[in-house]
Amino acid sequence: MPAVSVRSLAKSYGDKQAVSDVSFEVEKGEVFALLGPNGAGKTTTIEILEGFRDRSGGEVSTLGVDPAQRATQRWLRSRIGVVLQELAVEPFFTVRQVLTRNAGYYPAPRPVDEVIELIGLKEKADQRVKKLSGGQQRRLDVGLGIIGNPELLFLDEPTTGLDPLGRRDSWNLIRQLTADGTTVMLTTHYMDEVEALADRVAVLNNARIVASGSPTSIGGRDSGTVTIRFALPEGVTASDIPLEVQSIDDGLVTIRSDDELRTLHTLTGWALEKGLVLPGLSVSRVSLEDIYLDLTRTAS
Amino acid sequence: MTTAEPTAPRPETAAVPTSGSFQGLGDVKLIFRQFRYEQLSFWLNPVGAFFTIGLSTLLLVLLGSTAGSAEVGHGLDIRLVQYYVPGFVAFGIMSSCFNVLAISIVNRREMGLLKRLRLSPVPTWILLAAIFLSYMFIALLQMVILLVVGKFGFSVQGPVDVPAFLVTVLVGMLVFTALGLATSTVIPNVDAAGPAVSVVFFILVFLSGLYFYIAPGSGLAQFASYFPVRHLILALFASFEGGRTSPWAWGDLGVMAIWGVVGVAVAARRWQWAPRRG
Repeated sequence: MPAVSVRSLAKSYGDKQAVSDVSFEVEKGEVFALLGPNGAGKTTTIEILEGFRDRSGGEVSTLGVDPAQRATQRWLRSRIGVVLQELAVEPFFTVRQVLTRNAGYYPAPRPVDEVIELIGLKEKADQRVKKLSGGQQRRLDVGLGIIGNPELLFLDEPTTGLDPLGRRDSWNLIRQLTADGTTVMLTTHYMDEVEALADRVAVLNNARIVASGSPTSIGGRDSGTVTIRFALPEGVTASDIPLEVQSIDDGLVTIRSDDELRTLHTLTGWALEKGLVLPGLSVSRVSLEDIYLDLTRTAS
Repeated sequence: MTTAEPTAPRPETAAVPTSGSFQGLGDVKLIFRQFRYEQLSFWLNPVGAFFTIGLSTLLLVLLGSTAGSAEVGHGLDIRLVQYYVPGFVAFGIMSSCFNVLAISIVNRREMGLLKRLRLSPVPTWILLAAIFLSYMFIALLQMVILLVVGKFGFSVQGPVDVPAFLVTVLVGMLVFTALGLATSTVIPNVDAAGPAVSVVFFILVFLSGLYFYIAPGSGLAQFASYFPVRHLILALFASFEGGRTSPWAWGDLGVMAIWGVVGVAVAARRWQWAPRRG
C-alpha cells in the first residue's frame, strides 16, 4: 500500500479551480516533491491529504484511510507530521516546553531530547522561542512536525525564507529523517531543493500536473540534450552562425543540441576560420530550472 | 512511558481504530494538561499578566478612593464603591473572556497556531476548551482579588446571594467568551485586533455605566440596554445589593443569553483555522 494515493483530485473555490484532475502516488519511505509556482495548487493538495481541507472530487488515501473521514481523523493525525509555511510557535515557551507539550498529544512520541538534538537546538533547549533566530525557529517548527514520530511528514515550503546555510541544515535534517524510513512529501518552488532531496517530483501548474518523474529524468532531462551559450561576437549576426540558434537574449546566444561533440566541432571550427573568439562559451546539461521554466511558462 | 526508541519499528498500520472524538477520562486529563500549558504561557509573560489581571483592581482602587464614598443617588442610598465592586467584577469577566480572548484568537489564527492546533491528533474541542477555561480562570482570579480589595479596602459587603452571584458570573463568562470568539472572526489581522477590540470594549463599558451609575429609564440606559455589557453589570449588582429587588436578575440574564446565542452562531459560521492575512 502506498503512503499516499491521489486519483483525479479536484478542488474548487467558487468558480476558481484550485486543483484539477491531479493523480499521483507516494511510496513508503520516498521523498516526493510537489514543485510549482505560487498559486499552482501545491498547498491546497497537501492540505487535502492532511485532512485540513475537504476536496470537491476524486479519490484520496493517506496511510490507507480517507483523510476527510471524521472517524479515522484522530488516528491519522497521530501518524502524520506537518510543518506549515508559517512559523507557528508560541513566543514565551522555551524550546523544551513546546516540544514536551506537543509530545503529550501523541500516543508514541519521539523522546524530546532526541528531537532537540536532531534539530540542532541542544544549546538553546531552555531558551524562549522569541529569543531564537528565524532559522532556529524554523528548525523548532520541523521539530514539532516530527515529535510524534510520524510515518508520513508533510513539509510545506520548508526552507522558504532561510539563508543558504539554514537551507543546507534543513536538507540534512530531512535526509536524516528519510534515512530512518519516514515518508516525506514536500512542496517547494526551489529546483535545487528538489534535486537535493526528492526521489520523485510532480510539477504543478495552473491546478494541474504538467510533468512528473525523477528529478534527473523529468521533462526529457536524461535525453542528452545540452545547452551551449556564448556572447555574440562584435560584427556577427545570428544568420552568420552555421547552426540553429535557439535564442539571442541581450547578446547571449543559446543553442540546444542532442549531439554536443559534432555541434561544438562545427561551432569552434567556424570561429577559428573567421578568427573570432566566443566570449563566455559554456556547455551545460539542461537544468531542472530550464525544464521547470519551460513547463510553467504558461502560468502568467 | 509512552516514548519510543527512534529505531523501534512503528506499530502496524493495519488496525485502524475508528473511535470518535471523545475518549473518556483520558480526554478530560488532556484538557487539564492543556489548561496548565495555557496558564504557563500566560504567566511566562509577566508584564502582560500583570496588566490583564491588575487593570480591574487598579481602576476599582482609583475610582473607589476618589469618588467611592459618594452616594449612588437616583433614590439609592448606597455608596458608589458598593456599585463599583460588582461593576469591576463584570469588567474583569469582559476583559478576560472577551477582550483578551478575541485578541489572542486573532493572534493565534494569523500566526498559524490555530491551523497547527487543528492538525494535531488531540481533538480540537479539547484544545479550544482549555483556552476558554484558561481565560475564565483569569476572570475568576480577578473576581477574587476585587472582592478581597472591596471588603478590606472599602468595607464593601460581598454578594448577598452567593448562588445568584456565581450563576451570573458563569453566564457572563460563557456569553462573553462566545462574543469574544465571534468578534475574533470579523477582525482581519493582528494589527487591527488590539485597537478594534479595545475601542469597542471601552466605549461599551463607558456607556453601560461602569464608571458612573446610569438612572434606569434614561435615554442612555435605554441605548445601553441593547448591549449585553450593562446587563452583566446590573445582574451582578442585583446579586450584591439584594434588598431593593430580587438578587436574581432574570431579565438581564435573558438578554445576555440571547447575545451569547448570537455570538455562537456568528463564530460557528465565520470560523477559520487558517490565517486570513487580510
